[in-house]
Amino acid sequence: MAAYQLLIIGGGLSGIAAGIRAARFGLKTLILEQHNLPGGLNSYYLRQGRLLETGLHAMTNFAPPGAKQAPLNRLFRQLRLSRKHLEVHEQIGSEIRFGGRSLYFTNDIAVLEEAIAREFPEAIDRFRLLRQTIAAYDPFAAVPWRSTRGFLAEHLRHPLLIDMLLLPLMIYGNAEEHDMDLGQFVIMFRAVFEEGFFRPGGTMRDFLDLLVRQFREFGGELRYRSPVAAVETDGDRVVGVRLENGEQLTAETVLSTAGMPETMRLAAWEGDRVQYAGRMSFMETISFVPRASMASLGPARTIIFYHRGPRLAYRRPDDFLDPSWGVICFPDNFSGLVPEESTQIRVTNAASYPLWKNLAAAAYGPAKERWSRAAIAASEEIIGNYHSSIVYQDSFTPVTIERFTRKAQGAVYGSGIKVRDGVTPWGNLFIAGTDQGYLGIVGAMLSGITIVNQHVLR
Amino acid sequence: MSRDEIKDVLLEIIADIDEEADFASLDAGAPLRDQLDLDSMDFLDIVMELRKRYKLQIPEDEYPQLATLASCIDYLEPKLQNV
Ligand SMILES: Cc1cc2nc3c(=O)[nH]c(=O)nc-3n(C[C@H](O)[C@H](O)[C@H](O)COP(=O)(O)OP(=O)(O)OC[C@H]3O[C@@H](n4cnc5c(N)ncnc54)[C@H](O)[C@@H]3O)c2cc1C
Repeated sequence: MAAYQLLIIGGGLSGIAAGIRAARFGLKTLILEQHNLPGGLNSYYLRQGRLLETGLHAMTNFAPPGAKQAPLNRLFRQLRLSRKHLEVHEQIGSEIRFGGRSLYFTNDIAVLEEAIAREFPEAIDRFRLLRQTIAAYDPFAAVPWRSTRGFLAEHLRHPLLIDMLLLPLMIYGNAEEHDMDLGQFVIMFRAVFEEGFFRPGGTMRDFLDLLVRQFREFGGELRYRSPVAAVETDGDRVVGVRLENGEQLTAETVLSTAGMPETMRLAAWEGDRVQYAGRMSFMETISFVPRASMASLGPARTIIFYHRGPRLAYRRPDDFLDPSWGVICFPDNFSGLVPEESTQIRVTNAASYPLWKNLAAAAYGPAKERWSRAAIAASEEIIGNYHSSIVYQDSFTPVTIERFTRKAQGAVYGSGIKVRDGVTPWGNLFIAGTDQGYLGIVGAMLSGITIVNQHVLR
Repeated sequence: MSRDEIKDVLLEIIADIDEEADFASLDAGAPLRDQLDLDSMDFLDIVMELRKRYKLQIPEDEYPQLATLASCIDYLEPKLQNV
């Protein structure tokens, strides 16, 4: 008999959600996480007594508790978590800024419609029709890849408005460069514009604690500092895993959330790993400034998506960083949060993994410093000066992301090629998480749930 | 288990899955999913919970027999008679 009914590689959001499902129905389940903390891409770290979050600008898919079919509530029901235990803080309002043009939006899509009617009156009727088309579209149907840019060119016929609407949706959920699959666009349009942004109360640590506690309450086991070195196979079945310390663990089923390139390596799976390594990675620059100095930075915004330049180039940059477009996030600007003395400004820009990777050790620190300054300077062009008030600053690069999560090339969303059904050449090895295809925090959890429902619980 | 006991168990399982479920106006002869606004994922949870509690294996092609509260009870009665 195998030691575990289900063994999960990775204690990120997809892995923990998958674990909760299995443990809830009595399966003997073990999660193996290489790091000493849960969360994966969406975790936290401590520096000088401060807790810094690595992901979480905002959770998408906001829904009030009563909306039963909303993805967020379905997620909570599946994890058997009560919405009563989730304190939510909705965004105050976010903005998309391209040169002198601006679109302001909140969790009420009427606000976005008004902004479009004001800024692009020539396109508002087409935007309203577009919303109807999106509402009627089934993004989960198994259809071949279809170009979102092609679809929008036909429906909106407005290059600037198209780029403006695409930027937040791409940054928060597109693995591909330049274009995105129409199904993924529809998922992201609903998640961001129709439903909207919120933050759970407290920090990412509190949210992860809630999930881990739930998993353990159902009898699940979670081991940190337990990197898996290999998935052991026998013919067309897997028999378990071997840890880096040599320990062997047997399992009836193995679920990997480590991403396709890493899973292929672990299982000695023949095939082209490179096609699964995405090209989009990011550098994030986090600054703490005293609350008082925020007053000069314009009206309070939750997130600003900006672009300066002729056409949006959503792709891996030719240089270390592309500050011409990015995200400026104010994690304290959600409704109902108690103001702290210092507040954060987080700037995210596309970054080139190979350039960062190939830096000599001695050059890495200085490059980080130089490009953090570039990121801050670019954001100051949008919101005004703040570098002189920074009391603490830190940043992480594609190399950091790869080191802590083993996401090949630090590609946050993996590559454009997804394993939608989670199936592998081995009958009892499955894939969940980013490379299965549902992205972001809510997406990753739904991915873990869906794969366990389909392949483990049935 | 008697029919009434089975009914209580089912309502308890559903209440656990959906804290907002409202049984006051539930029609035992009408589809549960529509009345309670449940989806296929919730539905699977009812099946899974029955399996966990009573070691009942319900094959997927028999799921339609669980459509209404009354048909659930009809279906489960012989299976749970010794419980
Ligand atoms: C800077 C940044 C900002 C983000 N902002 C947002 C946001 O605002 N909103 C949002 O919705 N999403 C955001 N995301 C995206 C979101 O974090 C991810 O989509 C999601 O967390 C992915 O979860 P996952 O479980 O698929 O993968 P991961 O989080 O990568 O989990 C995989 C886990 O597997 C572990 N692992 C890998 N290999 C092994 C091994 N061999 N042995 C043991 N363990 C292993 C890793 O350590 C990791 O913990 C952001 C991401 C980043 C990087």
